[in-house]
Amino acid sequence: MQINFEDKSGVSVCKVTGDIDINSSPDMKKSFEKVFKEKKDKVVINLGEVGYVDSSGLATIVEILKNMRLYNGKLKLAGLSDKVMGLFEITKLDRLFDISQTAEQAINSF
Amino acid sequence: MKIKTFIENDSHLLKEISREVTDELRSLGTHEGLIFDIQVAMEEALRNAMIHGNKFDPQKKVSVEAEVVGGKVRVCVEDEGAGFVSSNVPDPTDEENILKTSGRGVYMINHLMDEVKYENGGRRVVMVKCLKQNNVKHGGK
Repeated sequence: MQINFEDKSGVSVCKVTGDIDINSSPDMKKSFEKVFKEKKDKVVINLGEVGYVDSSGLATIVEILKNMRLYNGKLKLAGLSDKVMGLFEITKLDRLFDISQTAEQAINSF
Repeated sequence: MKIKTFIENDSHLLKEISREVTDELRSLGTHEGLIFDIQVAMEEALRNAMIHGNKFDPQKKVSVEAEVVGGKVRVCVEDEGAGFVSSNVPDPTDEENILKTSGRGVYMINHLMDEVKYENGGRRVVMVKCLKQNNVKHGGK
């Protein structure tokens, strides 16, 4: 899994490439430490290049949301494949998150 | 396809055995959506066995069996832990649990597979899924 952060129009866009699973979730958590430290309040996680997420990955994304809520930050998700979106629907996490089809739509919706 | 093995509590071995099963299913011409459902369920069962069952005790192993019979895949995962009662696992989709960072694995297994049975005091989970294309469960996609 690879994670890259980019600032677009005042929004931190985190692009994840690869699986978010039991092996990569700790790295994803660690990569967000700076986001929390700097209290970045507008964040988009672009999951367009993510083909697989397990319950560790879902838990990590929920944890990121919880951490950002502590300082009233807003988190949006974008680019979920049908398969990954299906897991969000099964676990009802699609109701918890603001999900856009593309990262651009998510950025423009702040 | 018939696979029977024991693995140590190592998340990289978890991925290896999962890949072995999904590669076999792919070679049988199984629909990718079904393979995804089976991969998620199997990895969740293996993860639960290593973390919650064996608690990463190096003296304990995880037994994995997978076979395709009569158009269905049957996967069994068994740990050497204390067991658990699956009905006692809180529903992670309930409002009071939705923000919890654990407890989704069993729920996902139950929703992605057709039949799920817990045996031997919850140490062994037996999961069955029919390999018909219209049986894809991940959100009905």
